[in-house]
Amino acid sequence: MAIRLTINGEKQVFHGDPRTSLLEVLRDTFRLTGAKDVCGEGFCGTCNVHINGEALPACLRPIGMLEGAEVTTIEGLSPMGTFNAVQAALEKHDVVQCGMCFPGLVMTMSKFFETNSNPSRAEIKSAMTGNLCRCTGYELIVDALASIAHERGLVQ
Amino acid sequence: MTYLQAQNNAVMDYPRRDASDKLRGRTKYTVDQGGLETLHAVLVRSEVASGKIIQLDAKAALEMPGVRGIATSVDAPGSHGLGIADHPIFADGHVRYHGEPIAAIAAKTRRQALEAAKKVVVKIEASKPNLTMAQSLAKDARLIHPDWEDYEILYDGAARGGNIAWEATVRRGDTQAEFDRDDITVVEGCYRVGRQNHVSFEPRAVIASFEDGRFHVITSTQVPWTVRHVTAKVLEIPESHVRVTVPPVGGGFGLKFDCSLEPYAAILAKKTGQPVSLINSREEEMLTCLCRENAEIRLKSAVTKDGEIVAREGTVLMDAGAYGGEQVFLTTMTAHTLGGNYRLGAAKIASQAVYTNTPPNGAFRACNGVYNTFALERHTDEICKAIGMDPVAFRKLNVVGDGSLGATGQVFEGDVLGPMLDRMDVLISKDSPAEVDTSEYLYGRATTVGTWFIFVGPSAATVNLNADGSATLVTSGVEIGSGTMMQSLPQMVGADLGIHPDNVIVKTADTDASGRDLGVGGGRTTVSIGAASTAACAEVRDKLFEIASELLQTATNKLVLVNGRVEIAGMAGSGMPIQTVIAEAEARNGPIAGSGAFTAPGTPAMPGCAAGHFIDAIDIPVFAVHDCEVAVHKETGKVSVLSYRVVQDVGRAINPRAIRSQVQGGVVQGMGYALSEEITINDKGCIDQDGFETYKIPSVGDVLPIDLDLFEGAPSAGPLGTKGAGEVPILNVGASIACAVANATGKKVNELPLTPPRVLELMSEDSRSLDLEHIQSDWEKNVLG
Ligand code: FES
Ligand code: FES
Repeated sequence: MAIRLTINGEKQVFHGDPRTSLLEVLRDTFRLTGAKDVCGEGFCGTCNVHINGEALPACLRPIGMLEGAEVTTIEGLSPMGTFNAVQAALEKHDVVQCGMCFPGLVMTMSKFFETNSNPSRAEIKSAMTGNLCRCTGYELIVDALASIAHERGLVQ
Repeated sequence: MTYLQAQNNAVMDYPRRDASDKLRGRTKYTVDQGGLETLHAVLVRSEVASGKIIQLDAKAALEMPGVRGIATSVDAPGSHGLGIADHPIFADGHVRYHGEPIAAIAAKTRRQALEAAKKVVVKIEASKPNLTMAQSLAKDARLIHPDWEDYEILYDGAARGGNIAWEATVRRGDTQAEFDRDDITVVEGCYRVGRQNHVSFEPRAVIASFEDGRFHVITSTQVPWTVRHVTAKVLEIPESHVRVTVPPVGGGFGLKFDCSLEPYAAILAKKTGQPVSLINSREEEMLTCLCRENAEIRLKSAVTKDGEIVAREGTVLMDAGAYGGEQVFLTTMTAHTLGGNYRLGAAKIASQAVYTNTPPNGAFRACNGVYNTFALERHTDEICKAIGMDPVAFRKLNVVGDGSLGATGQVFEGDVLGPMLDRMDVLISKDSPAEVDTSEYLYGRATTVGTWFIFVGPSAATVNLNADGSATLVTSGVEIGSGTMMQSLPQMVGADLGIHPDNVIVKTADTDASGRDLGVGGGRTTVSIGAASTAACAEVRDKLFEIASELLQTATNKLVLVNGRVEIAGMAGSGMPIQTVIAEAEARNGPIAGSGAFTAPGTPAMPGCAAGHFIDAIDIPVFAVHDCEVAVHKETGKVSVLSYRVVQDVGRAINPRAIRSQVQGGVVQGMGYALSEEITINDKGCIDQDGFETYKIPSVGDVLPIDLDLFEGAPSAGPLGTKGAGEVPILNVGASIACAVANATGKKVNELPLTPPRVLELMSEDSRSLDLEHIQSDWEKNVLG
């Protein structure tokens, strides 16, 4: 079976079992290994990508349901040499540890900041609840993200 | 450069250089590697916990589509272990735990390998498993290793017997005489903790190939040299036939301090002639992770009414699972985690690694210390209650200080814990206590102390100076996320050579390129690899100065390295760029390189008081003081942490921001251990929690910012006075939360984790006291030798 979709702006065709998860397709077929397979069951958010403009776990989406979909992965998020505000804040505040959780977290929070450019700390935390991290203890990530609003002069 | 200058120049909040790629999803962890020709392997695992294999037939599997090779125990004749070689990589006719590998299959795709695995015929004559340590220690218990006496002994001197894989004991002084005194109070308690899964986000993963007659193993490990050693041992080939390289590691926490999947992939690579990748599924990680071991502890102390601890006896049972593994080594640590906090008159401590028919356990961040600190601190609070003394005052009176004896008779240097407790007072006084609605919640607070230590042991480093004035550091260090390879080592080398850390290239671990190393864990990288690197830099500096002193007509002891230049001390601009000296050196003698090595300095213990220990005394103790406030919901039993404070002994903080990040992460992992991360084992011997739905690690909603004070200046043999800072933050989180919950509820808290049902149970009982009957109150009755 052939499924057509757009990945990072390029038209792609997947031939194979429609039950295959988007995550497996991205990682194994298209060698886009940015999205990580950590829990495989929708709990950790490390495989989050943008599907038709929403940040969602790729491990739970069968490719067969994505005919015609627009998918953006971490690799397609910001061109090399540039960072979006979320990536820039996380880099500047030096919060990355092992890094496994960050691709998914960046995808979730980038989408969140598109819709809410002036979030409170509580709103940031609530947007982050679906993204687990085993290394950082979260708070410094929240500090980094809270600084985005600060730096835009949008402090609440 | 003088020592002091190097110290000052090394200190900075130097940012990680690997962040950019990690934030772009470009970092290639082991799980992200593997080319088109790479085969995919899976393991066929036992579905019973104990039994005899009566049939194993892989013929049908071998004929399945895509299958390229199958391996079983005939392909890996050797056994490995620490202390004793009790562990074959495939079940050797007997299965000893649910999940034990029986065969490994490589196929073109993972799916094909999984299909083929279903065709392997395995018949096992099951026997009743020993699933608990109490079962294993019962008088008529079935032996899990009937041939234990015949196993190769790799480290002499420990008592072993039956289902006790290893026993380490301490006997200092006459505890009985102290317990017999009539002016003392005896306090006794039992404590129990469950297992904790590391949940490193990258599972254990390996890609192996067989090239030019040698194995190349690319693996997600903390211990490249252990992987090389164990792979060679079980395949019965020379170690030099194995090369191990390590990409960035997606989290370790001690899980990857052991060789696990590598030999299977290596065998299959040789059999098939193709690279083979073997990656644990999350379910496999959950069910066979080398968890922090469950432990059972009995402590008994004799204390005067003034609060002097005149005697202490302790017995610690550590569940090794089906094979001795790291627990054999970790038995050593009880002496120091139970006996390195408080001054003790006389001490008897026993630590036993007990075989059970459960998945093997392993090292986990502040291994052994986390539960011993929990037990000890709860016990300490029980003592304070019994003699009517304020818990913080009791701790101030009794913590080890300059000249105090440790359990094994080592002499501690410097007053550290006492001043740290004072610093905690200051930290606490900055805020008023948290407010809680007492109609709904019970409020509790506690301050605890903890002692752990830095593993030292051998490390090697080479520094190659490049023509452009940069330096390449070659070691067996691995970046597991803590930042040592990205931050502290470049900072130290940069400071030593007077160049910016950006100009220090850090080579990833490769056993063909770098010297032997104990591995990344136990907070040792900054200390051991750091010291080896500093020694390598000294050789480089000497070589540079020898040439520069001629060029500048100045004695070598007047030269310094600063800002990429060799300068005459105190005269900025007087010298020349380092590149000029390098060019001259290359023309005369060839490129400049230096090498350095480090090992344990060797701190003496009291002769004859410790048996079965791999380390009798600790070279670099590390101390921590934690304080927390909790609210316990009266109806649900849910514990909320309201504030958390840490004073941590870091020796010297060369990257304070990176340490803060480690402390925040470590404390949160400890909160998981204390409150939600619970593993249960069903009657088949299988761990019940197979994923993130059932095993609950903290999420952002569960945590709070940690208030941190870095304590600097304690004695340390580490370079620039450093101690590792990543391991210790988790040490007394379970203890602090448990003591605070005990204070809130007025109940004895003897078990972790404090999940809502457990807390509710605790609150509903009048008085709850755990009595572990299989650990005798008479200490001598517990020990083998
Ligand atoms: S891997 Fe998809 S949510 Fe965890
Ligand atoms: S940085 Fe390691 S899981 Fe988040």
